[in-house]
Amino acid sequence: MKQKYIQLLRTTWGNIFTEEITPVANELYLTLESGALSKLPEICSVLVKALKAHFVMLLANDERELHGKFFIYYVFSMTADNLFLILRVPVDAREREVPSITASLDSATWFEREVQDWFGIVPFPNIGKLAVHPDWPEDVYPMVKEFDLKRSVRRVKGSFDFKHVAGEGVFEIPVGPVHAGVIEPGHFRFSVAGEPIVNLDVQLFYAHKGTEKIAEGMNPHRAVFLAERISGDSSFSHAVAFCHAIERTQQIEIPQRALVIRTALLELERISNHIGDIGGVLLDVGFSIAASRAFYLKEKFMHLNEILTGSRLLRGMAAIGGVRRHIEDTLAKREAMQETLKDGQEAFEELVDLLMSSSTVLDRLESTGVLAHKDAYRLGIIGIAGRASGIDRDLRRDHPHCAYPYLKFHSVLCNEGDVFARVNVRIDEVRESFRLLEQLRRQHVDEPIKATLQSPAPDRCALGYFEGWRGEIVHWVMIGKDGNIFRWKITDPSFHNWRGLKLAVRHNIVPDFPVINKSFNLSYSGNDR
Amino acid sequence: MIEFASTFIVSAIQILLMLLATPLVCGIIRKTKARLQNRRGATIFQPYLDLSKLMRKEVIIPSTSSWIFRITPYVVLASMLLIALLVPTIFAPVPFHWMGDIITIIYLFAAARFFLALGGLDAGSAFGGLGSSREMSIASIVEPAMMLAVFTTAVTAGSTDLSIIVNRLSTTQASIIHPSHVLAFAGLFIVTIAETGRLPVDNPGTHLELTMIHEAMILEYSGRYLAFLELASQMKLLIFLSLLANMFAPVGMAIDTAPLSLIVGVAAFILKVAILAIVVALVETANAKLRLFRVPELLMVAFVLSLLALILYSIIGS
Repeated sequence: MKQKYIQLLRTTWGNIFTEEITPVANELYLTLESGALSKLPEICSVLVKALKAHFVMLLANDERELHGKFFIYYVFSMTADNLFLILRVPVDAREREVPSITASLDSATWFEREVQDWFGIVPFPNIGKLAVHPDWPEDVYPMVKEFDLKRSVRRVKGSFDFKHVAGEGVFEIPVGPVHAGVIEPGHFRFSVAGEPIVNLDVQLFYAHKGTEKIAEGMNPHRAVFLAERISGDSSFSHAVAFCHAIERTQQIEIPQRALVIRTALLELERISNHIGDIGGVLLDVGFSIAASRAFYLKEKFMHLNEILTGSRLLRGMAAIGGVRRHIEDTLAKREAMQETLKDGQEAFEELVDLLMSSSTVLDRLESTGVLAHKDAYRLGIIGIAGRASGIDRDLRRDHPHCAYPYLKFHSVLCNEGDVFARVNVRIDEVRESFRLLEQLRRQHVDEPIKATLQSPAPDRCALGYFEGWRGEIVHWVMIGKDGNIFRWKITDPSFHNWRGLKLAVRHNIVPDFPVINKSFNLSYSGNDR
Repeated sequence: MIEFASTFIVSAIQILLMLLATPLVCGIIRKTKARLQNRRGATIFQPYLDLSKLMRKEVIIPSTSSWIFRITPYVVLASMLLIALLVPTIFAPVPFHWMGDIITIIYLFAAARFFLALGGLDAGSAFGGLGSSREMSIASIVEPAMMLAVFTTAVTAGSTDLSIIVNRLSTTQASIIHPSHVLAFAGLFIVTIAETGRLPVDNPGTHLELTMIHEAMILEYSGRYLAFLELASQMKLLIFLSLLANMFAPVGMAIDTAPLSLIVGVAAFILKVAILAIVVALVETANAKLRLFRVPELLMVAFVLSLLALILYSIIGS
């Protein structure tokens, strides 16, 4: 199958690709010749348009100590063949320039800007800062290997450069970075003409923790805990995605029972977050009676998480090679699981009835914050927000692992792209999650839940991925010569979807922003890392 | 001289009662909403504690603001206290009825609103301006609806003097259930919801600055200024509830200062207002917040109801 793509690419552009050998079955690494750099935008464009590839992410890697060069990896997903095609593009260590692919692939914009801010590799044409704030000095790039974490960086003078909209009656409303309520930090700058929003600019990266940098040189087993803290609401999904990447580099076979437990916990994470989001949307439109029901129900599932794993956020469960503990090893746990699922399902249907029978709620949700399919496609919107705008992509189905290959479920799809569609996708996904959990119900506590691990093989890299509740989480890990992490790239779905939010709020009125924002419910922490 | 003394006593009782009952009404609404949401909720006396806490807190004044910002809380609270003297509560002859009628009340509300909107703008923050502009655009539709509702009862009583309206209604039993009154009551109830910033028009419990109306205007206020404004807005609610209760059902109101009729008056007043407060809480719980641009449609309903009431009265007659 890999040969098919190599042949296809070579017939068009000649022999400018070298295949890198990897033990990972569904990853194809092709290194581009330095001389053919100018063809990169064209190649990417053909991949996406003619071969129906989905742009997953791009990442830079400082491989100067290994090959004397930087490399940029362009990751594409070939859904039809369950294959990831990864273009590996060399970047000269001194010039540090690479052609931008955003002319044909808008969804790569933020990725290119991040590479520029963190590695100093300039995609031309050049665009402004994204991942560092204006008070960060020009020539300091935190992700290059010589940047010492302990070094303190002297801040310079600088101010945010927002897009200004001029015209009679156009005002700017600054909101944040500190918000009312328990919300993560982010600065929003609205340009409004009366109530309608003309433009929204978002300044993020207040919650940057340098996770990728801290992890360099770290033992992968320790980094699992770091992965759990990338975005609190997706603790387990991120941890599983990371473990998945490490397991793929080492070709570790996971025991069947561990896969089942992982699947169950991932679906539980999805259920509690989706219900919480539905409650959040209801609260933002002031329908507090249904909102409090939703929060009560979410709490039930968080409580179940605690009974099963000892952690409301499912932390401390993921481990490389499997999971740490059984989740249904005692009668009390099994009963709690059974009861919560049964009662929860009923209560959830009641909640949905309440929501659907309130005309004022429907009036607020329908046609609010529309993200059209063509915009969603252009920006590479994924996950629930994507599926609400007709982007039919679900990693559980398209690149399945865990127990998903053996399970029956639908991937939910809506086409309207409004707040109501995003709520509806969540509602149906919760129902699907209940179905999935039904299928998983059987207890075999004597089976192993963790593979026996060898000492890690060095110099390997692989993707790890999972469709978290918000959307696809993709990690890429390279193990260095010492068996520790050489480079870890984390992509949270929020990083794709923030641009979708910016577009969806346009032409809506200011008081509708909170509910549109909530319907996306993007992670700041996961975006900023 | 005796006349003067009794007026003084009566008005003193009235203003004290209004001041004391104000936070309680707010507390009842919050408690009812909490119970309906399966929450335990704070005690119904929590608003008293909140106000006393705010009175002790430091006042922070934005450096960009002018004297308008500082006098606004006093103007707003003073307007509400004045109105509190003009509305019928426990006494059928309203203490200061010779001083002002319904029209005075409407203008006093307008004055308070005008200063509140100025105060919101004066702080120079984006949210204040947002709140002020929303408040004024809603006010331009609320006021006609309110006038029409109130005038319907004035026309039936033949006077805009609240004492006369209340007296007429309490003496002629039949007019209590006059169909036009039912419509006018419904109209005024919607106006009450809009004027006092309750759901589905404005969400008094929200933390989302971008959706606020009344709360956005007072966002920059703190300490005792905020306490004054909170008290004023709570009192506004009580004033509206008193108007609703006593203009349409003046049962049990005291006609003299005899202890028994006073006790009956106070009890009847508290009961009526408490019932109305619970109804407000029910309406708030059963409805989601309307989209801002739908609010005029709701207020048009209030306007049409009041108009129908007026037409009905002129057709059926008393």
